[in-house]
Parts: sequence; C-alpha cells; structure tokens
Amino acid sequence: MAYPYTHEREVRVLSRGFGEPATRTLEGWKTLGGYEGLTKALEVGRESVIEEVKASGLRGRGGAGFPTGVKWSFMPQEKRGPHYLLCNADESEPGTFKDRELMRWTPHQVIEGCLIAAYAIQAEHVYIYCRGEFFETNQVVARAVEEAYEAGLAGEDILGSGVSIDVTVHQGAGAYICGEETALMESLEGRRGLPRVKPPFPAAIGAFGKPSTINNVETLCAVPHIIAHGGEWYRQWGTEKSPGTKLFCVSGHVRRRGNFELPMGFPLEDLLYDVCGGFEEGRTLKAVIPGGSSVPFLDADDCAGCTLDYEGVIEKGSMLGCASVMVMDDRTNIVKQVRRTVDFFAHESCGQCTPCREGTTWLSRILLRIEKGKGTEEDLDTLVDLGKQMTGTTICVLSDSAAAPVISSIEKFRDDYLALIRRGEAVGAG
Amino acid sequence: MSETKKGPERASVPFRNPGWAGNTGEFDLSEAEVRGDEYVGSRPADGGHPSRAPSYPFMLEDKTPDAPLFEGPYRERYEKILSRYPDMRGALLPVLNLAQELRGHISQETMREVGALLGLSDAYVRGVTTFYTMYNKRPVGRFLIQVCTNVSCNLCGADDVLEAFLENTGTELGETSSDGLFTVMEVECLAACGFPTAVQINSRYYESIGAGDVPGLLEHLRDEGGD
Ligand SMILES: Cc1cc2nc3c(=O)[nH]c(=O)nc-3n(C[C@H](O)[C@H](O)[C@H](O)COP(=O)(O)O)c2cc1C
Ligand code: SF4
Ligand code: FES
Repeated sequence: MAYPYTHEREVRVLSRGFGEPATRTLEGWKTLGGYEGLTKALEVGRESVIEEVKASGLRGRGGAGFPTGVKWSFMPQEKRGPHYLLCNADESEPGTFKDRELMRWTPHQVIEGCLIAAYAIQAEHVYIYCRGEFFETNQVVARAVEEAYEAGLAGEDILGSGVSIDVTVHQGAGAYICGEETALMESLEGRRGLPRVKPPFPAAIGAFGKPSTINNVETLCAVPHIIAHGGEWYRQWGTEKSPGTKLFCVSGHVRRRGNFELPMGFPLEDLLYDVCGGFEEGRTLKAVIPGGSSVPFLDADDCAGCTLDYEGVIEKGSMLGCASVMVMDDRTNIVKQVRRTVDFFAHESCGQCTPCREGTTWLSRILLRIEKGKGTEEDLDTLVDLGKQMTGTTICVLSDSAAAPVISSIEKFRDDYLALIRRGEAVGAG
Repeated sequence: MSETKKGPERASVPFRNPGWAGNTGEFDLSEAEVRGDEYVGSRPADGGHPSRAPSYPFMLEDKTPDAPLFEGPYRERYEKILSRYPDMRGALLPVLNLAQELRGHISQETMREVGALLGLSDAYVRGVTTFYTMYNKRPVGRFLIQVCTNVSCNLCGADDVLEAFLENTGTELGETSSDGLFTVMEVECLAACGFPTAVQINSRYYESIGAGDVPGLLEHLRDEGGD
C-alpha cells in the first residue's frame, strides 16, 4: 500500500483504506465489507448494538478514554423528543492528525459509524461537526453523505428497516475550544463556543436542549468493525483495560512521521526506534509528549518501558490523550516549545474562567521572560504555583492542559530553565 | 509492507503537492487523487444535496464585497442550510461562512445583514463572529496564507517557513502585500503535524513545506492561481 509509510507491525483495521482513492466511494468501501456493520446493527436491534460495543471495551478516542458503550447507555431509553448524535470532527489538539486522514480516505467508515451510533441512541439527526479549516476533507465527507442518501443508507427508512436518520455535515469556523463537547454544542447552536457547566450532562440536555451523545471520529470509525465482527474479535488486540487498535500520530524529530495503527499497549520505544526509524544520525531522544499538547512531558527515562495504553502512560506520569506522540531530540529548546504551547492555550482560552484566562497569559509572559534570558529562579516557583492554581479550578480542562506541560517540564528539564536563567543560554536550538 | 525508503530530496518547487508528506518513497498517486478532487467532482452552485450545504463554503480567490446576501444559487444554498437546523440561530455559522465565501470577509455591515436574515441582533452576531478566528474582520488578499507554527511544525522549522513567506511577499504578519495578492498569517495546528510544515492557502492544504519551497510556491500562485 502506498500510504506514506507503513510498517509490518501495524494492524490496519481503521486505516485499511488509507492511500487507496477507491475506498472513498461507496462501491470501494463495500469491497472492504462496508455497511455490513450497519446492516447487521439494524437486524440485531439497538440494545444488542450497545451490548456489543460494551463487550468490545471500546474507549473514546477523543482524549478522555471513556467507555463508548456505557456512554451510549446513558441516553434516555424512552424517547420524549428528538435525540442527536454529534460526531466530533473538530480535530485541533496540537500533534493530532488522525481524524482528518480517516475522513478524507474513508469517509464512509465515518458515516457508517455515525449511523450505527445514531441508531443505538435513537437519534434522528447526526451532525458531523467538522473543523472549519478542513475545506477539502469536509467536501470528501459531504460527497460521501450524499452518496449514502442516494443509496438509501441515510435519510428515510434506511435499508427498508423503518429507521430514519438524517446526516448533516456542519463546518466550524476556527476555535480549538469547540472540540470540547459542550462548547461544540453551543457552537452548533450558533453561539460562541463557551463550555457549559456540567451537570446537566449531554445525555440529559445536549445540543438544542435535547438528549445528545458526542463521539470522536476515530471512536465512531471502530464501531462498524465491532458490530460486523463482534466485541470479542476487537479484544484480540490491546490490553484488558485498553482493548483494540489505535492510530498513533507521530510527529517531530523521527525519521518517519505519520499515522501508524497499532495494538494498544505497544511499547513506546518500539514505536520510536522500530516503526518510526529512530532519530537522525547522531541525535538522541530528549522528550516525548505522548498524547498531544495537553498532557505532561515524558523524559528519556520515562520512555523506557512505557507501554502505549491508557494505564501504561498514566503509570509513567502522563496521559495517552489522543495518542499524538510528539517527539523531541536533543537539539530541542524545551523552554521555547513549552512557551509556544502555552501561547496556544492563551489564544484558545474562551475566557470564561479567571484562572484560565489570566493564568495562561501570565504563564506565557513569564516563560517568554525566561526564554529571553531575563528570568529568575523564583519565576520557576511562580510558574509551578500558578499552574497548580489553574488545575481543577475551571469549567473545562483546557486550563489544566495549559498547566500540565509547564509543571512537568520544570520538573523534568529544570536544567534547561536554569541554563537560561543563570547564563542566558538556551540548551537546544529549536 | 515494511518500511519505505527515504524519498528523494525535496524539489524546490512543490507543485506536485501531494497533500501529505511530499517526499515519501513509494508514493505514486496524483494530487487530485490524494486531495479527493476526482471523487468530489465539481461543486454544484446550488450546494447539491441539502446535507452538504452547511459544509459548502470555500475561501475563494475572487471576492465580491458588495454581493447581495443571497441571490440565485446562493439563495438556494442558504435555504438548504436553514432546512438542516431546528432553529434559525443554528444556521448562524454556516450562513456567516456562506457570506464570507461570497464577500471575502465579514464586515460590520455583513454582520447586520446576516442578523436581519436570521432574526438575531447586531450585537449578538458581532459577539459570535469575533469569537471565531476564521472570520476575516477585514479584507484579505487574493491568497490567504496561513502558516502553522505550533509545536510539531515548529520542531521541524516552521519559524523559518513563516519568515520565508513574509520576506518573499514583502509583507508584515497579518498584513496584505501592496499588490493585493498575499496576506500572511500564523495559524494554530492544522492537524497535519506529521507533514511539517503545514500551510493553508485559501481552502487548500500544502504540506511538508520547507523554507526553500516558498519562492517557487508563490510564483506558482502568481502564475496559475491556487485552485
Ligand atoms: C479543550 C478541549 C478540546 C477538545 N478537543 C477535541 C477534539 O478536537 N476532538 C475530539 O474528538 N475531542 C476533543 N475533546 C474531547 C471532547 O470533549 C469529548 O470528550 C470527546 O469528543 C468525546 O468523544 P469520545 O468519547 O469518542 O472520545 C476536547 C476536550 C477539551 C477539554
Ligand atoms: S477553562 Fe478556559 S477554556 Fe475552559 S471554560 Fe474556563 S476559560 Fe474557557
Ligand atoms: S503542529 Fe503544525 S499542523 Fe499540527
């Protein structure tokens, strides 16, 4: 297969169609067993669908890792009005680039997953909330939705089952915070993307005030396979608590960057040195951010023996998040990259909560001062102190996310900070 | 298949922008195949099936700041958008997107007109519009160039790429070049981190861009446009 880099240790379930233009079409998707999952779901009934997804142990791929089947079972069993399914295609966590690939290579996989989930939770309308910048990708998905309508797979009386589900491809307008589930709902409703205070949870009051479920693109993409082949089948990969396969987005200083689909629990070092080909000549590992910008740093010692499943990464002091593995070699200026990350969060903070709005700005200013060689050692204490005050004190976890890389980098790369503070010298170049 | 060999050195002119890592060995698809153009086909002016209408807007090179909201096929798209949401407010973002496709930016006047269409106050529409970064509050050049400088790209030289764009267009960050062609901005992670540096030009992604690719890319835009 031509997809930029593939590796023999990959297990390509969701990414099977990557690099194959034919898979975009309905016909092409059907040659890979497409819509067998939907057909089967309509036969076995929605309770069985939820049970099967529960049995598979599938956990949300949007970052939090919440069990998907359990989430679906929170929806009211008795319908009193519309239910909505929201597909979170707002991928914007720095380091993450899997949903875009899933959407542009296998749009029908996304749509089939949406339809099965919508059926399971009795939703009559699916909104695929696509990131605004994805003009090209969104058109691919939108064309596939149109194809699904033409083939009677979406819209009224799907495949003669009497079930009707509409699908709409909605395009956002550029705001990271709209990836947060309740901010996404606000945004879909035509408001500013301000996260809501929970409870009430979306299963009670979600989009347009109605019970709603929200799932990440990758989560939904796993569903058709689970329904077609069974929950046990999915458990042949991964660990007891983190079953299945996962797309790992590897970026930064490795020889081969890209998406690699691997069983959960894959050793981080094998990913770096075997699958991704290690570092350039003469370079060595300095740090890894294993789950996108929102999670704490791992240093080289932490990486030794780290397995890539939700529990394995927590054991090493970080989080798997969306499995966005950002790799930094020994030429990296950690302080600069932390400052760049904090700038991102400062820019994307919605401004509702004081610790987040003020905290991100202060972190950024102090870090910039240190980066310029004008910081003091007390600044480091201030940063950690500020970071702690920003953790667990706000409506959503963006604030915690901004603090995590700051606190963990000061803990693990204190010498880099001290070199700048004491001698005005950055340890790495970029 | 096991690992592929390291690709040839990057060409200085990235016209064969493959839409992802431009220089990987065994990669033999056409650009249209990678981007999905062939599959999507031409976009019907009326928006096609209503399910796609809200995702339709594009960033176009040609902008008509005084175009009416909305007439002809644009009116049809507008009505299809309304049909997909339980209330008028839900249609606000897609309608603003549509207005921006047509006019190139969202002026105070556009906010007022959109508000009037959907029964929302000026202040409300302004509040929403200013929240989202993709709404241009003032006119932009024929090509809106957005360079990702977030961490994954930054580690691989994004600052140099941004600098190259500024230098070669002779413009300041956020400003439009004197010939009206280029507006250069920084953008947050474009979700193409494996293919650094990622650059978005109007509605299109250019990936694996190095500072050395920039002059050729700009020349290509000048001569042949970006669509
Ligand atoms: C600040 C913030 C940004 C988020 N961005 C995204 C995102 O871009 N895509 C996504 O799928 N989930 C994102 N999430 C997670 C969602 O809130 C939500 O947990 C997820 O979509 C649920 O789907 P899942 O159960 O399938 O993982 C974000 C969360 C936060 C707090
Ligand atoms: S934590 Fe930050 S982003 Fe989240 S709701 Fe509060 S201010 Fe907004
Ligand atoms: S960091 Fe540049 S695209 Fe993600």
